[in-house]
Amino acid sequence: VLKSILHSLLDLSWISKIQVNQPAVLRRAQQIQARRTVKKEWQAAWLLKAVTFIDLTTLAGDDTYSNIQRLCYKAKYPIREDLLEALNMHDKGITTAAVCVYPARVCDAVKALKAAGCTIPVASVATGFPAGQTHLKTRLEEVKLAVEDGATEIDVVINRTLVLTGQWEALYDEIRQFRKACGKAHLKTILATGELGSLTNVYKASMIAMMAGSDFIKTSTGKETVNATFPVAIVMLRAIRDFFWKTGKKIGFKPAGGIRSAKDSLAWLSLIKEELGDEWLKPELFRIGASALLSDIERQIYHHVTGRYAAYHDLPMC
Amino acid sequence: MAATRAGSRTREIFATLEYGPAPESHACALAWLDTQDRCLGHYVSGKWLKPENRKSVPCQDPITGENLASCLQAQAEDVAAAAEAARAALENWSGLPGASRAKHLTRLAKMIQKHQRLLWTLESLVTGRAVREVRDRDVPLAQQLLQYHAIQAHIQEEALAGWEPMGVIGLILPPTFSFLEMMWRICPGCPPSPGCTVVVLVPPASPTPLLLAQLAGELGHFPGILNVISGPASLGPVLASQPGVQKVAFCGAIEEGRVLRRTLAGVGPELGLALGTESLLLLTEAADVDSAVEGVVDAAWSDRSPGGLRLLIQESVWDEVMRRLQVRMARLRGGRGLDGAVDMGARGAAARDLAQRYVREAQSQGAQVFQAGDVPLDSPFFPPTLVSDLPASSPCAQAEVPWPLVLASPFRTAKEALAVANGTPRGGSASVWSERLGQALELGYGLRVGTVWINAHSLRDPAVPTGGCKESGSSWHGGLDGLYEYLRPAGTPARLPYLSENLNYDTFGLTVPSALPAGPETGPSPAPPYGLFVGGRFQAPGARSSRPIHDSQGNLHAYVAEGGAKDIRVAVEAAHQAAPGWVGQSPGARAALLLALAAALERREPTLSLRLERHGVELKAAQAEVELSVTRLRAWGARAQAQSHSLQVAELRGPVLRLREPLGVLAVVCPDKWPLLAFVSLLAPALAHGNTVVLVPSETCPIPALEVCQDMATLLPAGLVNVVTGDRDHLTRCLALHQDVQALWYFGSAQGSQFVEWASAGNLKPVWVDRGCPRAWDQEAEGAGPELELRAARTKALWLPMGD
Repeated sequence: VLKSILHSLLDLSWISKIQVNQPAVLRRAQQIQARRTVKKEWQAAWLLKAVTFIDLTTLAGDDTYSNIQRLCYKAKYPIREDLLEALNMHDKGITTAAVCVYPARVCDAVKALKAAGCTIPVASVATGFPAGQTHLKTRLEEVKLAVEDGATEIDVVINRTLVLTGQWEALYDEIRQFRKACGKAHLKTILATGELGSLTNVYKASMIAMMAGSDFIKTSTGKETVNATFPVAIVMLRAIRDFFWKTGKKIGFKPAGGIRSAKDSLAWLSLIKEELGDEWLKPELFRIGASALLSDIERQIYHHVTGRYAAYHDLPMC
Repeated sequence: MAATRAGSRTREIFATLEYGPAPESHACALAWLDTQDRCLGHYVSGKWLKPENRKSVPCQDPITGENLASCLQAQAEDVAAAAEAARAALENWSGLPGASRAKHLTRLAKMIQKHQRLLWTLESLVTGRAVREVRDRDVPLAQQLLQYHAIQAHIQEEALAGWEPMGVIGLILPPTFSFLEMMWRICPGCPPSPGCTVVVLVPPASPTPLLLAQLAGELGHFPGILNVISGPASLGPVLASQPGVQKVAFCGAIEEGRVLRRTLAGVGPELGLALGTESLLLLTEAADVDSAVEGVVDAAWSDRSPGGLRLLIQESVWDEVMRRLQVRMARLRGGRGLDGAVDMGARGAAARDLAQRYVREAQSQGAQVFQAGDVPLDSPFFPPTLVSDLPASSPCAQAEVPWPLVLASPFRTAKEALAVANGTPRGGSASVWSERLGQALELGYGLRVGTVWINAHSLRDPAVPTGGCKESGSSWHGGLDGLYEYLRPAGTPARLPYLSENLNYDTFGLTVPSALPAGPETGPSPAPPYGLFVGGRFQAPGARSSRPIHDSQGNLHAYVAEGGAKDIRVAVEAAHQAAPGWVGQSPGARAALLLALAAALERREPTLSLRLERHGVELKAAQAEVELSVTRLRAWGARAQAQSHSLQVAELRGPVLRLREPLGVLAVVCPDKWPLLAFVSLLAPALAHGNTVVLVPSETCPIPALEVCQDMATLLPAGLVNVVTGDRDHLTRCLALHQDVQALWYFGSAQGSQFVEWASAGNLKPVWVDRGCPRAWDQEAEGAGPELELRAARTKALWLPMGD
């Protein structure tokens, strides 16, 4: 009975007819970067906004308490205070949107943030990140443990096997169970788009993930060879819009992997603005998963305020 | 203080995340205008030409109205000076080997690269187009064009053996055009063909072509290969009638092209027309709708194409498409072209007024109009506009859709879409959006246009020919077809004016002198069936009268039917009915029929030789003529096989097919001389390329053609070939004025040629006239050369992007 209720949310007709034309999407992706640009004050304001979308991330084998602590501090003070003051933005409470770590480091992050006295959410990747090739039982357990440790956002990876073999109902069921395991925590579903084979599959997987109750859909783990690209993003954003038109529910979007420069982040902001509109430009609906991006943004803000380019030692490391 | 103000602004933008101004500095464009003291003349023979006592026109920023410079208006003598310079340069330029010309071209490409910023800011400043489009598309394409033609110049000696350059080319450009339109045409026209030099007549206040001419001129060595003069369109005919000018290429509005076609009838140079700006987009239910919506943006709202768009949407996805289109429109930004973050600039007050007028008329005819986008409300800006629910029969639905309008209308099935799409007199470019391969190809092949993109719009490449059919004109640029526009078969005499001032177009060939009984017929026996060969059988002429045919001794030889307007009408209808069947035949099947006809001709050799002998041809020569005719049929049968080929294009995965499609119903007026050979030599390539034909055989000796008709009656499908005998001038008049004849070849008198050129302006059919100069039909080059192949079919470029 429970299963049949779950299935009632699944409507395969939403994905059965869909066709994505790859060359046309590639052309659109090329255009987006050339068609919009922001300069001067607009650029500074947009960059500060981009900071508030960042899921400041470290996903390395050598993560320890000390670098997690540094990360959390940087999340709270992402831009040097005097630079914010010069822009009259110091009272805006600009922090990154979240910090994102491996499940085993969630406790460290929660502790460090508490010590820093801030309420930034902790996100954790889970479900056999990055390959997802572990048993469903352990994957679900991983989610539960991360939530127990204090993570309020869970980035799960989907089972690519199910996509490539067209088992959409099974995929729906799995994500549905992740959803349940998350409890009140937000569920961000990583589609690992670099391994889905085609843009049509990206659209279908996006739709299934949203139907199954994801709060966010996320492009990639950052560990595949192909990460967040504009063509993939365009397809996912179109799926988000279609889902909104069908259900009235706004689902968030998170590109991750390979976003390193301030210029890139501006292009991502205008992509969201163009494809979904201003209402998606808030941390509840848009995140950028990145580790190196923040320092480049800070350098650009430094240049905007001072008119000079910063030396590496001018800005605190993260 | 300043910091606080900036700070409060930052706070505001942080909250709204709006776009701000992103102006591109145009200081270098202004500095260049300063070097000319803000007064632009003409650029002739590597020097600026600023004659005294000329009227000047202000060159204004179309958005602010600020005066940027004043442009001197050319007069007839300036045009003459430019043509003289081009003629003088011709001699130096002609002897050069291809490799040297290639080097020159490459240097020009480098020159453009070095000064690209000046080029794009100047172009965007004076035209109002979005700088992004000029910078990211036009300028790189201009360089690619030069490089492509540099390569062509290297390989042309082999590839284009048997062809020679025409000479001085006159190019006339319309008021609103991108400098790229000039590049498309001067690249093949000027350097790669040895000996072509160009005079460009640009509308007043267009500095970019002048800048390009200066860049080319500063390369030294060959001043005078590119000359630019600015002046009113009324100078077009003056340019055309300059001695030495061999070809005039015109691009612009359809009506202006028509007028120019009439004006230049009988004037020396050949006329190439590229007319109209409208494009078409066909959106099926099998399309990736979001991508197709982007296609609409590319086609109409990106400052990419000069005109508006006709959008056909399958009824089953109508609501979905309209919703997505309207949402997308709301996100478009318009503004000053030099702003780096706008989709659309402005095109000046005239373009705005045209759009405004169309919208008002469409509304009064019952259309719904939707406008959206972040576009300034004041002149000269005009918002992206979507017009729908316009009754198909209303005048606006027939008229050309102007920039930046999209006229949407529904269709039910792919078949209906083709009928609607082909139901306009224009035939420029179109795109088909469908993820079903079979459907996309069916539509792509079926559309009667010059360019079809599958699941894309507005792609361009130097290697791909771009052109059109019907009223969009039949001249080509880009690719090999673009080169042929400026070449002629080696040994063709220069084109001289053959204008007959006192030719009265109203009365030429209007009436047929009445034929009276002229004594008993003296041959042939057995006589060929009497009548016109129409619809596969011999029929009595509508006028029920006959004309006498005399032999070389002046004796009455036979009576043949006197064809008239009504017979032409019936013949053209029969040809149209036969067309779908013949087009559908494989080249192999067409070849087989031509070979069968050749065999039949061979069997009829004794009779045909006798008939020719009766007309004063020696028996030996007559036999040779029959034999050569048989050879021609066989040769064209073989050549029918390989026609199309595919091209590889930069930045596109997948092929571009260069298709050779039939013209449709082709009318042929045969010369008097070579009554059999000319008839066969013209008929064979026309049939081989899939055309259906209405022929007027030799006026003085139609009997051999009628003999052949007996074989065609048994061998060929009815209506494929129709032969109408009678008064040549009268029949020519009927054919040339017929709106549903797609092309006309005329071999007769100078006056007849002039009339044909004049009358073709009606439906702008391509015409090929001999201007009263007889051709040597027995020579391979003139009787069966590649020129016939080129003229017997039209090109279509079919873009097939691939990827999954």
